[in-house]
Amino acid sequence: MSKKDDLSPVERIKKASDGLRGTLKVSLQDEITGALREDDQSLIKFHGLYQQDDRDRREERSRKKLEWLYSYMIRLRLPGGFLTPEQWIGLHHIAGEHSTGTIKITTRQTVQLHGIIKSHIKPTIQSFNTFQLDSIAACGDVNRNVTCSAHPKESAIHEKIFAYADKLSVMALPKTRAYYDIWLDEEMIADKGEVDPLYQDRYLPRKFKMGIAIPPNNDIDVLTNDVGLIAIIENNELKGFNIAAGGGLSATHGNEQTYPRLATVLGFVAGEENVLKAVYVIMTIQRDYGNRNDRKLARLKYTIDKLGVEAFKEELEKRCGFQLEEAKSYRFNSRKDHYGWKQNHEGNWYYTLFIENGRVLDDEKAPLKTALLEIAKTGKANFRFTGNQNFILADIAAIDKETINELLAQFGLITHTDKAGALRKNAMACVAFNTCPLALAEAQRYLPSLISKIEPLLEKYNLQNEEIVLRMTGCPNGCGRSPAAEIGLIGTAYGEYNLHIGGDRMGERLNTKYKDSLDEEQLLQTLDELFSVFSKERSTGETFGDYSYKKWIANS
Amino acid sequence: MLAEDRLRKLQDLISTSTKEELIWINGYLSGLVGNDPANGNGHSTIAANGNGHAIPTTEKKISLAFGTETGNAKKLATQLATVAKKKGVNAKLMDLSQYRVTDLAKEDYFFVVISTQGEGEPPIPAKKFFDYIQENDLALSNVKYSVLALGDSAYPLFCKTGEDVDARFEKFGAKRVVPLQKCDVDYEDDALEWFEQVLDTIESKIVPVVGIIAAPVKKAGRKYYKGTILDNINLNDRGSNKATYHIEIGTDEVIAYEPGDTIGIVPRNRVEVVDQIIAITGIGRELEIATTKITAPVKELLTLHLNICYLLSSTIKKYAVIIGQEIPDTRMDLVDLLRIYPVLDAAQFEEIIKILTPVAPRLYSIASSPHAHGENEVHITVAKEMFLAQEEQRFGLCSEFLGDLPVQSPVIFYVHKDKNFKLPAPDKDIIMIGPGTGVAPFRAFLGERDATGASGRNWFFFGEEYFISDFFYQTEIQNYLQTGVLNKLDLAFSGDQTEKIYVQDRMLEKAAELYEWIHHGASIYISGEKDPMSKEVENTLLQIIETQGVKTRDESKQYFELLKKEGRYEKDVY
Ligand code: SRM
Ligand SMILES: Cc1cc2nc3c(=O)[nH]c(=O)nc-3n(C[C@H](O)[C@H](O)[C@H](O)COP(=O)(O)OP(=O)(O)OC[C@H]3O[C@@H](n4cnc5c(N)ncnc54)[C@H](O)[C@@H]3O)c2cc1C
Ligand SMILES: Cc1cc2nc3c(=O)[nH]c(=O)nc-3n(C[C@H](O)[C@H](O)[C@H](O)COP(=O)(O)O)c2cc1C
Ligand code: SF4
Repeated sequence: MSKKDDLSPVERIKKASDGLRGTLKVSLQDEITGALREDDQSLIKFHGLYQQDDRDRREERSRKKLEWLYSYMIRLRLPGGFLTPEQWIGLHHIAGEHSTGTIKITTRQTVQLHGIIKSHIKPTIQSFNTFQLDSIAACGDVNRNVTCSAHPKESAIHEKIFAYADKLSVMALPKTRAYYDIWLDEEMIADKGEVDPLYQDRYLPRKFKMGIAIPPNNDIDVLTNDVGLIAIIENNELKGFNIAAGGGLSATHGNEQTYPRLATVLGFVAGEENVLKAVYVIMTIQRDYGNRNDRKLARLKYTIDKLGVEAFKEELEKRCGFQLEEAKSYRFNSRKDHYGWKQNHEGNWYYTLFIENGRVLDDEKAPLKTALLEIAKTGKANFRFTGNQNFILADIAAIDKETINELLAQFGLITHTDKAGALRKNAMACVAFNTCPLALAEAQRYLPSLISKIEPLLEKYNLQNEEIVLRMTGCPNGCGRSPAAEIGLIGTAYGEYNLHIGGDRMGERLNTKYKDSLDEEQLLQTLDELFSVFSKERSTGETFGDYSYKKWIANS
Repeated sequence: MLAEDRLRKLQDLISTSTKEELIWINGYLSGLVGNDPANGNGHSTIAANGNGHAIPTTEKKISLAFGTETGNAKKLATQLATVAKKKGVNAKLMDLSQYRVTDLAKEDYFFVVISTQGEGEPPIPAKKFFDYIQENDLALSNVKYSVLALGDSAYPLFCKTGEDVDARFEKFGAKRVVPLQKCDVDYEDDALEWFEQVLDTIESKIVPVVGIIAAPVKKAGRKYYKGTILDNINLNDRGSNKATYHIEIGTDEVIAYEPGDTIGIVPRNRVEVVDQIIAITGIGRELEIATTKITAPVKELLTLHLNICYLLSSTIKKYAVIIGQEIPDTRMDLVDLLRIYPVLDAAQFEEIIKILTPVAPRLYSIASSPHAHGENEVHITVAKEMFLAQEEQRFGLCSEFLGDLPVQSPVIFYVHKDKNFKLPAPDKDIIMIGPGTGVAPFRAFLGERDATGASGRNWFFFGEEYFISDFFYQTEIQNYLQTGVLNKLDLAFSGDQTEKIYVQDRMLEKAAELYEWIHHGASIYISGEKDPMSKEVENTLLQIIETQGVKTRDESKQYFELLKKEGRYEKDVY
């Protein structure tokens, strides 16, 4: 393990933070700036918030001798991405009162609010609390929001599996009461009872993510997680899970040591206790062996490759005290959201709604926010978020279907969903500008218009109904999971993107860089060429991802 | 030589006396011992001191009272007192703010040095006195007097207050022994001449003059600087209800100024309004017209020289006479007046032009320091004045004019010295209370203290509407905090919470520490809006002195007066 003195600064901050409290209370009191003290900026992430500033406004504010326009983004902890209608109404109003008003559905089935100014953080968290919602450990060097296939009630077993998301989330929560004491003014108990056997006082070397997929749908991109659980169902019975580890998509431009990686399936585990234990143990190995000097090389994927998969597996079994069984076979046949009305075995209805890049607001395209509020008010539908930044109105009783359908129609959401083309419906983009401090290029603000320019090309080759998975991110961190797409657009500079191709449709093969730093014109031209060749030479049913891999990546 | 207790009594007296009182006591004593009959009119002055048991005397009693706002009149009066002293005449120096008006009747020789402020108004400290003589009818037939009026011929109502005071005393039957002397910005020579005459009348028994000999007005020896706009930024961010401009003006020559001074700028009238006026009245735009001050073509007169905004009611009265119509006592812009009460023809409007007063200069507190920002620059912080008139949104003439000035455009200004609003010794602490544009002189103070490495501590109270959009000079202030130049900062943003919070509320929260600073010799400065800000801040200060210093209202008032006398409580309010 690493020598103390070259630990990364964040390690010192965590250790010295008195259970993630740091000087947050002082920082919040400070009226001279909208920012936090430097160390607190790292610590507040563990509470589910990020200090940001409006990057569009930096220059102008500086001219005015004003500091940057600091504000905060809050991300809820929402295992499996489920909200009751009451909670949605609460979220709607909290967003209006304290944030920009836009509710952003993330690629990990939760929501973010942006633009919360410092003095509004506490009120925001307190209001969320009244709806039993929190943002604990939504960010930071801990386990993040646990994802789970978004259609949990398609069969009785999904219900059971969905329950795991919550159990895992709770198991991996930090023990500190800091959140309650800083934001909810909870009395500090003498013995804080905060001894944390899992995280100790150093937490993990880096963020940690887990997701549960229910084949045949891989809607949550299970292999991109640090730990992925693949449910094994045999004749309608949950047998257990294949456990995969070491997924992660980020790379850093020009840093050869960094790379995206899909999780390796290590084996099969049966029984709740053992499953939870195995996951827990993987976290402890990462805690003890993970790189704490260089945060760029600190994710589990690097720890595993450093130890070697086999050695890692042995350590895992040693610490678990049981062997992993041979991985069971499974098959993914899709990664997408199934839009429109669907019915489950109990006869309940679902409506999966298209929400471009997960941005819920009222705009010229559709009055999404108003519509969803009205629907929530009926109390007849639950709200679910998908790993593709979309929305499911869930658990609607047969008799209520018409009410909901009328509202959807009234606000034009049905046409909004239906009229969106195949490419748009399967695309994702990360937040990027104007809030993301790491963005090199635009993403969610730009992709919609870019797609409008790509669609004619597809039509030109009669490919408009191909469900090609296109994903754009403003930098190589891959928040929109761009490395795991058939077409990945990864920002390198403002207005410039690397073009990656060759990823498969189900999320089991990453893409590869094909062209460097293309501007829009070059990008459209290149895609035009690729589509033209693909349309002519593809074999029937062959996806763009598979074809381009074979044609331009594998043998080059 | 003196016995303990008597010595202590004397020392007590000295320690509690102001500079002026000491000057007087000094003169008084030399008068007592020296047996030259022309001197030693101390007894009677004791009587004037009103400390009860007066010793009857036939000697002349001479009072020299000043009314000042920015310190000129005081400085001048003190000079004159010493001149008199040299001639063996003991004139009692008095500040009109302290003067007991009921003593007027007891005066023998009463000389007033008073400036004019605002739009022909008395200096704030002399307002009590001024209002008293305006509102009451006094019988002062045995008082002999003369008035020295300080003023500035750049303003429409030149030396108005002096004139008013002179007129009232005449009305009271007092005898004018020397004609009213009006002084422009270079007042020293005229003042001395006037005082010579004053002294003559006292020594030789000259029969008092009766009629007014209007004193010749000297040309203002004012120095005007030719500047160019180097930068002009609206400090308010999007979403603010205000527009406040940080304007940097550069010059080729060195600008003689100190932090705490202000600059005066004469705004241009709005061209479109001038065109409207010319259109409405049909007067020839190139027609040369001779006014009291200047002869120029109509267009130039109306754009550069004459005030066409918010005419004084006195001007509107003259207007009514010319057009021969009843106009209720009011103030409005010339163009509105012309619409509501049209002139007969161009010829009649020519008459109107002749009664228009010059455009008054507007003052702006300098927000820069020669040491921090260079000697060839001044910075100002200008709030765009917004108000309703004739049911429409209007903007202040000069603040709009300045806000609209693009970089590179020329601008002419002069430096208006403020003798009182100055930094104390480098090692002294200062408390600066400056919400809104009140921040301006304190940006100068902080810049100066930073550049000169002054060791005194600095505490700043700032307030505005919103933290996000209205925190003027935020990044500079943050830096001063980091580097330790600014020791304490307290902020009040009224609009950021449901209940309004102002600087005076923050002061109350820090009452104990504030008193502590004051008690240990800190100077207090208030800058910005006169009403209601400066008044409420002043009351808050009194309250703090009272509660923290465990004093009665009166005691704290006295304490406060002491601060003023020591020049430790200064205002730059408007
Ligand atoms: C909101 C979201 C994108 C979206 O449009 O939905 C997002 C947004 C951000 N991510 Fe992410 N990430 C989001 C999913 C992802 C994913 C995809 C996933 O997990 O399925 C990845 C790639 C998978 C992985 O973790 O490898 C991802 C990899 C990163 C990284 C790279 C981590 C690494 O291993 O180097 C960073 C940068 C970092 O952590 O230093 C990052 C950092 C960020 C930050 C917080 C920027 C920052 O660190 O200040 C972004 C906030 C932007 C904003 O203004 O909102 N985000 N981020 C997603 C929120 C997920 C959630 O609810 O928790
Ligand atoms: C010592 C001193 C220091 C100062 N320092 C600063 C400073 O640092 N920053 C700063 O911004 N200001 C400062 N001022 C104030 C400044 O001098 C001006 O008074 C201010 O800018 C307004 O001038 P203006 O020409 O824009 O407004 P004006 O046109 O003179 O209007 C002023 C007011 O007159 C009334 N008015 C005008 N026209 C009409 C009409 N047609 N009908 C009805 N009412 C009308 C309105 O109430 C209006 O608010 C200072 C003043 C003094 C005396
Ligand atoms: C805000 C302001 C308004 C003034 N208005 C007038 C005025 O109306 N008429 C005038 O003759 N002088 C006017 N003056 C000029 C002053 O009377 C002149 O500066 C005088 O020297 C100030 O004397 P003091 O420092 O004793 O107050 C004004 C000065 C200021 C600062
Ligand atoms: S991918 Fe990069 S730009 Fe996009 S949100 Fe993540 S960190 Fe920001």
